[in-house]
Amino acid sequence: MHSFMPLTTVFPGLVWAMAALALVQTARRAALWRVGSAAPVAWLHGLARLPRRYLVDVHHVVARDPYASRMHAVVAGGLLAASLLTALAILPPLAQSRAYWLLVALAFAVTAVGSVLVGARRYPAKQKRLSAGRFQILPFLLLAYAVGGTLTALLLAVGTGGIALPFTLALAAAGGLGLAFEVRQGPMRHAVAGALHLAAHPRPGRFEGRPDTALQPLDLEAPRLGAEMPADFTWNRLLSYDACVSCGRCEIACPAFAAGQPLNPKRLIQDLVAGLNPAEPPYAGNPYPGGREAEGERGPLARLIGPDARIHPDTLWSCTTCRACVEECPMMIEHVDAVVSLRRYQTLERGALPEKAIGPVTELRQSGDAGGRPLPARTDFAAGLDLPLMADRGQADVLLWLGEGAYDLRYGRTLRALVRLLRQANVDFAVLGPEERDTGDLARRLGDEATFQALARENVATLAKYRFARIVTADPHALHALRNEYPAFGGPYTVVHHTAFLLELIRAGRLTPGRLPDLSVTYHDPCYLARYNGETEAPRAVLDAIGLARVEMARSGKRAMCCGGGGGAPVSDIPGERRIPDLRMAQAAETGAGVVAVACPSCTAMLEGVTDRKAEVRDIAELLLQAVEAGR
Amino acid sequence: MKIAVLLSAGRHPVSGAAVLPRLEAQAIRIAVRLGEAFGVLDGGSAPFGLHAGPDAATVADALGQGLARIEHLVLPEGVDPVPALAEHLAATAPDVILAGRRGQGGGESGIVPYALAAALDRPLIADVVSVAPGDEAGTLRLDQSLGRGALRRVVVRGPVVATVHPDAPASLAYAFGRARRGTIVSLEPTAEPVAGPAIPVEERPYRRRPKIVKGAPAGGSAAERLKAATGESGAAASGRLLVDPAPEEAAREILAYLRRVGVVAPDSTRPNS
Repeated sequence: MHSFMPLTTVFPGLVWAMAALALVQTARRAALWRVGSAAPVAWLHGLARLPRRYLVDVHHVVARDPYASRMHAVVAGGLLAASLLTALAILPPLAQSRAYWLLVALAFAVTAVGSVLVGARRYPAKQKRLSAGRFQILPFLLLAYAVGGTLTALLLAVGTGGIALPFTLALAAAGGLGLAFEVRQGPMRHAVAGALHLAAHPRPGRFEGRPDTALQPLDLEAPRLGAEMPADFTWNRLLSYDACVSCGRCEIACPAFAAGQPLNPKRLIQDLVAGLNPAEPPYAGNPYPGGREAEGERGPLARLIGPDARIHPDTLWSCTTCRACVEECPMMIEHVDAVVSLRRYQTLERGALPEKAIGPVTELRQSGDAGGRPLPARTDFAAGLDLPLMADRGQADVLLWLGEGAYDLRYGRTLRALVRLLRQANVDFAVLGPEERDTGDLARRLGDEATFQALARENVATLAKYRFARIVTADPHALHALRNEYPAFGGPYTVVHHTAFLLELIRAGRLTPGRLPDLSVTYHDPCYLARYNGETEAPRAVLDAIGLARVEMARSGKRAMCCGGGGGAPVSDIPGERRIPDLRMAQAAETGAGVVAVACPSCTAMLEGVTDRKAEVRDIAELLLQAVEAGR
Repeated sequence: MKIAVLLSAGRHPVSGAAVLPRLEAQAIRIAVRLGEAFGVLDGGSAPFGLHAGPDAATVADALGQGLARIEHLVLPEGVDPVPALAEHLAATAPDVILAGRRGQGGGESGIVPYALAAALDRPLIADVVSVAPGDEAGTLRLDQSLGRGALRRVVVRGPVVATVHPDAPASLAYAFGRARRGTIVSLEPTAEPVAGPAIPVEERPYRRRPKIVKGAPAGGSAAERLKAATGESGAAASGRLLVDPAPEEAAREILAYLRRVGVVAPDSTRPNS
């Protein structure tokens, strides 16, 4: 009986030792986060909300892969429960209870089942999107800890330890201490960094039910603009990159990755991690398409971007800022913010824009339009239509923001349809005409914050001259800038997308569309409407109101795939193996629909530019106008 | 190697906003490349901009597009900048003076480089697209654009004034951070102010009036819709379509076309008839 008593203390002691080791490893890691710049974090609020953020927001993302969700619930739940219960057994009354040890054994058994589920994703062959490297050891560590724990607890419960007990305990110790050791730069880092990241998230609005997607304004007086090296990121961003669990969901969602452009969001985040930590184990996931191996210096003051640095400039400029990676990330990492920070440094400090993007950004800065076209020509699309100018009217119910699409011959057709619908519904509206400048969206996504802020101030000043209740726009990029990003520059506006406004007119009976039952249609969600603003229902409701046979693509709504038109990607034009719009049109073709309904000038241009397309590309306003005319 | 770029207060051809003329932004890129070739990019010997006029705010853009320093000769409005520039350039004696080949809508007349070359007694090489060190020490190799992609290579010795052609490489991107760090040095010219020539013209940009798009087909390819929207006028519509012609006839047609557009010299062997 003498050897029995200490073991009931040694086993809980092991868990306490694991906790201590994990704490030491976390502290060593935290020393790296501290090189980042300061960030305001509401710690108390964040920690109080942590369980909810984890169980609701994270689960919502994880559960898209039901296997991963169940696996994680079993293994993480079991691991936490078993470890906590064992740790509590340091109290003598619990340690004496055989029933208690039976409970501990049960928790460890659950963990063991979970460990097998973890292993099944990696052995005999690992799923393609997962990273190998240290992650391949994880199932064995888990299994050792779980099986060792189960047997130890069972033996303690039965009370006949004898010769076997030290061996089962040693097995548990090997697995458990291994897991704790992996907290610094192995797979288990995601647990600690992920939990801290949820509490200190740089965009807490994400968890409060509002789409917190506006880029944060850059202080143009700051000594260094944008991020050149890991130390230029705020500490909680560095923490967020450490949360990455290398699951590869982002790379499956990334349109640039699918098109074979040299961008892999997972690799990008891992390069930021490896750039910060010189001792980081080598990356073991899918490479950047094109197979470029990461090289270059490491460390908090290492230059991150460059042909000879860890991240090639082409990687940076391939991003369409579509946020698909952010939407899919179970660790709630903000990839697009990282890309824009890095772009800001390249553009503002080095003038290192991609060659083809220099022209449009320069024109934007000098003439208020990326094409350098005359501002009064913006209303040319409406020649022959009566388009009232704000300058003549002074006020209107609705200010119609035309956007860059107005210069485009194809998109002019959409806007003419929209104007005719507004006339039909007797909407009191007006446009800014020559006073409207570009919102600066292109400049901002390409990192030229100075040009964006100048344009935003000019537009805010123009809008301040007139009285209107709402802004309606057919351009989701303009909508996002006006609705979410202009408030920081003194312009709080109510901005409505044309699809939502048209739906309102239909519901109010001001438009009475007929039905077009002969058309089959699939709707392509614009990233800046669906993911950036969470609006996926109004466009579909309009399509349903006109009686179209609507089919959904495999990727739709907030998980839709980008057309390739955002983030300045069309002007950067980084070569890939395929084109993003071709991929998207192929997905649309799979539905067999004859019409691809769009709601964005960029999507219209990108998707219509696809050669050999079988389906027609039509804006929702055009379809609605056709239905209204059919109804008369 | 000292390189100066003449900067003028231009206007954007479409918006009319005060901007650095495009040709001068391209000249800066040439200057930066030349500076790199000679290893003079930093410090006092780096390429610099030179502006004469009442205000340097417009040309400050040049600081973001590659120059680290602008020398500004402060002149009252309406004063001829050539004497002040000539005096300053004679004193600083840059080896290469780059300028745009023409003005861009501002107060500038476009003949300043010529007047300066005359005043400084230097050769002027017009319409260059690149400037590089020559094979012999002390020489420069300049490529002049003759239009339509044709180039003429010129090698010169000694200080030179060159004007830049639009075919030169596009300007560098504007970097806000660099512009912030650049310096503008204000200088008081000592030359006697002379009133510039008054130019009694008003310039307004031409703008096409919008066309009423009527009955443009909704379907069809982009090319078909463009044709329907813009009509079939234009160069392509005036061509002749030959289906399966004899090789000699095809060759004759191609030659005739090339002569018409001036790529091949007119046929001189044919007797006049």
